[in-house]
Amino acid sequence: MTKNRLPVAILGAGFAGLVAADELTKRGIPVEVYEASPVIGGLARTFRDDEGFSLDFGAHFITNRLAAAIGVGDRCKTVRYYGESVWFEDSNSSYPFGLLRKPRLVLSAVAARTKRSREAVTVADLFRQRYGLALSTEVAEPLIEAWSGLPATRLAAAVAAKLSTSIPKTIWLRAAAFATGRAVAIGYCHEQPENANVWHVYPEEGVSMLVNHLASRVESTIRLRTPVEGIVVDGGAVRAVVVNGEERPVAAAISTAPVNVLPKIIRGTDDLAHLASFRYRPMVFVNLRLEGRNLLPDVMTWTPGPETPFYRLTEAPISMPWLAPEGKTIITADIGCEVGDEIWSADDGDLATMCLQALEPIVPNIAGRYLGSKILRTPIAYPVFDIEYEAERRTFAKGTGIAGLLSVGRNGEFDHLLMEDLYWRTLIRVRRLASQLV
Amino acid sequence: MAVGIGSEPLELVDAVCCNCGETDASVPIAVGEDFEYRTSPDTFVMYRCERCEVIFLDPRPARGELGRIYGPDYHAYGFDEGNYGLSFRVRAWLETKRIMAWCGDLASNARIIDIGAGDGFHLKLLKQAGKPTWRLEAVEPDAKAATAAAAAGLTVHRGFVEDLELEPEGYDFAIMIMTIEHVDDPVDVLRRARALLRPGGRLGIVTDNTAAPDASFGRSRHWGGYHFPRHFYLFNRRALAELASLAGFEVDRMGTMMSPVNWTYTVHNALDDWGAPRWVVNRFTLESAPALAIFSLVDLLARLLGRGALLRTVLRRPLDRS
Repeated sequence: MTKNRLPVAILGAGFAGLVAADELTKRGIPVEVYEASPVIGGLARTFRDDEGFSLDFGAHFITNRLAAAIGVGDRCKTVRYYGESVWFEDSNSSYPFGLLRKPRLVLSAVAARTKRSREAVTVADLFRQRYGLALSTEVAEPLIEAWSGLPATRLAAAVAAKLSTSIPKTIWLRAAAFATGRAVAIGYCHEQPENANVWHVYPEEGVSMLVNHLASRVESTIRLRTPVEGIVVDGGAVRAVVVNGEERPVAAAISTAPVNVLPKIIRGTDDLAHLASFRYRPMVFVNLRLEGRNLLPDVMTWTPGPETPFYRLTEAPISMPWLAPEGKTIITADIGCEVGDEIWSADDGDLATMCLQALEPIVPNIAGRYLGSKILRTPIAYPVFDIEYEAERRTFAKGTGIAGLLSVGRNGEFDHLLMEDLYWRTLIRVRRLASQLV
Repeated sequence: MAVGIGSEPLELVDAVCCNCGETDASVPIAVGEDFEYRTSPDTFVMYRCERCEVIFLDPRPARGELGRIYGPDYHAYGFDEGNYGLSFRVRAWLETKRIMAWCGDLASNARIIDIGAGDGFHLKLLKQAGKPTWRLEAVEPDAKAATAAAAAGLTVHRGFVEDLELEPEGYDFAIMIMTIEHVDDPVDVLRRARALLRPGGRLGIVTDNTAAPDASFGRSRHWGGYHFPRHFYLFNRRALAELASLAGFEVDRMGTMMSPVNWTYTVHNALDDWGAPRWVVNRFTLESAPALAIFSLVDLLARLLGRGALLRTVLRRPLDRS
């Protein structure tokens, strides 16, 4: 058997792993997809109940361009409207322009813009330079801290690299969205250009349809309940993977696992030992099923104030009405936590009660609308951009440094990547790998 | 949605850049639908190969789906005076001039083959304006179009040029007008065309110009030249010259020509996509003489600047190579 005939091992049958498997298969390169759990999908899973509610693991942003590229455009519906707002000082402001109503915030932002800025190291520096002290400390910093679990002064500026779209472009794309009645994607893809003809869509069956479709193309290569126990590196290159205690020679390995898992499974080198210190932020998503629709001020509502346990609320059925039965809705509250802390370990009912109480000022009489809840917990929701390992993170972003080892996907890249970016980035990396294998 | 044409998704297959045979350098530039015929609920992506500058559809309809994407009302099958009136007469006059510029100097015993002849429109013009002794033959896979061409007294080879057994080196001139953008493998089709030509024989190609202003105008979605999902490969001068070279041709001449069609359909597609009333959308079709007249003037300007809506090239099979 020649080297070219060896399969490429793919760790994880989530979205990125399946995109990689599909792309390599198209090129005639054999693949073996190892999934530790009994199901495919990873974070791109959908939970459906008998009452007609459909829940995805957190909010996903899918564009018509991504759907068409995967070949599932016909199974996605156009999202007519998407908007964000900030619940701040007991009232709602649309984001970003609504915040301009508050003179204190505007003055501080203008003052910040007049100052010469030095290179921002922490996200606190960056926000203060970009938005001014008031907007930064009252809105932006509390949000990023709740999201990451670290003070903004300990988070690298890179965490906010993707949060900014130019004002003229935002105005133009908003106008296009208004004129066409489609939720034109603004700030949801950085790998390919945004334009008025790229808008949000969503599968009728929930986000799992995307992974199911990809999986159907590479079905025979997927091994469920089969964790990769080791990746054998020799002479600076991947030689084999260990599965069920057995060493299997491979041409390359593509990992979608959280990066801090890699040092535990790589054998034959300590080059990636530093990744063990990289951390992810655990999250609890409290999904409240409710009577009524359009209960929140907007599809996504940020809550930077200290009075709420959550930092973000999402009412997905405002954008995707088909995700809930008519006249009903789901509000998802995102709560950052640590594994084992009181939020993580709280009883499901207590979490729902806590969120309902905190939601009362935003949605009056919400308790009377309450139909039930589903709590989803994940220990690896978002990467934490701790300045302690920022230099290592930057190095890792360029590649693993081991020949034949790719680390892709939302967890594997250790970056906050949205669906479409994930797709194009994975394709680019996998294509580069494929050209080296041929 | 009603069951019938348009309600079921098409079977799609993966595609690569026809010139380099890869997708490594491709970037998505447009997302669209079948705005003109609504033959399926699918959505499509056009990619541009940054290396070769070819624009291609990926994934694209499988060959077995051609019957659906070229439905019975497809315009190439019924472009006649009865349906299109003034537009037909103007186009026939222009096209006669153009095709005679290609073929006018051919000898009286010349054999000319039109690959992707549709209903034989161009061969019929040659029959009227050219030498009566020319032998005119059509290649056309569609049954209805092939029947129409045969009814006009043309010799018709029904099928795809890559599947037919035609006489090697038997032809003096081959025509591919608005054909190359529809085929699965343009390099293969051009090689077949080359094999049919005697050494020194020529191939005239007309195809959509991706460097034209109308293409820029509708770049990310509505450009008429995308013709979702029937145009598989689209070219600019450089990409077409590279394709010709890959198939063993020399470029005899290359330029652009005026056409109002892509302009008209770019506006049609945008209006249709944005939900404009039907009567407004219908002002921008091949049946609409005012739109065609206005966009002819617009594109005449573009043509004068060397960026007309269509690329027009004559390739030559070299004398000194087998």
